[in-house]
Amino acid sequence: MDERTGWSRAQPWVSLVVRLGLAGIFLVAGGLKVTDLAANGRAVNAYQIMSYDAAMVVGAIQPFVEIVVGLLLLLGLATRLAAWLSAGMMVAFIAGISSAWARGLNIDCGCFSKGGQLPPGVTPNYLPEIFRDVAFLAMAIFLIIYPVSRFSLDARLDRPFSAGLPADDDVLEEESESSEHTAPRRERA
Amino acid sequence: MSSRKDQNAAARMVRDQIAKEQRRKRTMWISIAAVSALVIAGLIGWGIYAGSKTTDFTAPRGANAAGNGIVTGSGPVVVDEYVDYLCPHCKSFHDEAAASIAQLAADGKITLVTHPVAYLDGASTNRYSTRSSAAAGCAAEYGKFTEFSDVLFDNQPAEGGAGPTDDDLIVLGRQAGLGDDFAQCVRDKRFLTWTNHVSEEAGRAGVTGTPTVLVNGKPTQASAAQIAAAVAAAGGATPSAS
Repeated sequence: MDERTGWSRAQPWVSLVVRLGLAGIFLVAGGLKVTDLAANGRAVNAYQIMSYDAAMVVGAIQPFVEIVVGLLLLLGLATRLAAWLSAGMMVAFIAGISSAWARGLNIDCGCFSKGGQLPPGVTPNYLPEIFRDVAFLAMAIFLIIYPVSRFSLDARLDRPFSAGLPADDDVLEEESESSEHTAPRRERA
Repeated sequence: MSSRKDQNAAARMVRDQIAKEQRRKRTMWISIAAVSALVIAGLIGWGIYAGSKTTDFTAPRGANAAGNGIVTGSGPVVVDEYVDYLCPHCKSFHDEAAASIAQLAADGKITLVTHPVAYLDGASTNRYSTRSSAAAGCAAEYGKFTEFSDVLFDNQPAEGGAGPTDDDLIVLGRQAGLGDDFAQCVRDKRFLTWTNHVSEEAGRAGVTGTPTVLVNGKPTQASAAQIAAAVAAAGGATPSAS
């Protein structure tokens, strides 16, 4: 029982840390690419998964989507949806890198850079890149399971609506503790 | 029969029901807003891409038929080199191999096609890659492409900061023997769209980094020795070194 309440108290804080971490990752990754969309398109094209024109379009859209997902996570708005999108993107990235590896391509993944073909003699770091994305994927999955976090807009938006219904949501959080303390006091009065 | 307790419980149930319904609606609207934001962001990216696509361009004099590179020489073996004037590896490649490549062209062994791509605009604060390439277009127009390329690589700025301005490029052009018509061309940004075309065609050809060298279409390591060997192999002649 004690352990359970311990986790239920810690979980929103853990979710906050995971949420902000993932937000930072997406904002940095998107921010680095958004300054040169053509370069990012070429990085996508380097994977040789889709046609050049499709790669250029994907490359132009991707940084903006990453930034919006990062902002949603930063604000804690639509957290679970944003977490699903993050997980989806990570799966796509892992699949892309694995496929490049399997086909023996010699490319920079373009994860936090402009990417592209590596100069001769430089060996790609596919395995660490995949491990890193798997860790990010785990963070996203954690947020899908535990989307409720501290200082989130989702929680803030929950409050004003419940104001009309006397102390329902507000109590929920502290109920386990405070009700036990206040109930006996009321009897005494 | 109904006690106060039951009434309270019933009221609470109704309240919970309403709260649940409201929460469901709220989640839906938040999700719709989030998805809209994503769609709008995607459209912005797509719009920027579509807007930057080259439609109209004029290739400078000395360009090949496709208009995506500057031709030197007229030998049987075609050597394509893709360089960005900001790329440090392109400078070291140029320093090491430019003279011997120029010799191959002068000897009538190769047709050299130089593609001055602008891949590294993100690596300078003032789009030096694009502006230097467009200025190289102006240099080609006035017959001093090779000389101007030499001057550009000799004065290559470091990545990450501001590259030479257009005025600086005009001064560099004078060092290469270019005059006022070149200066006007740079100021008019006449070959900016051509640079976009060169970069786009290079990307379409699968060139993802610079320098990239193709000998008769085959990727070759960017060094004088490797290129000479590949040219010899393609031309059927023995390398002059042996």
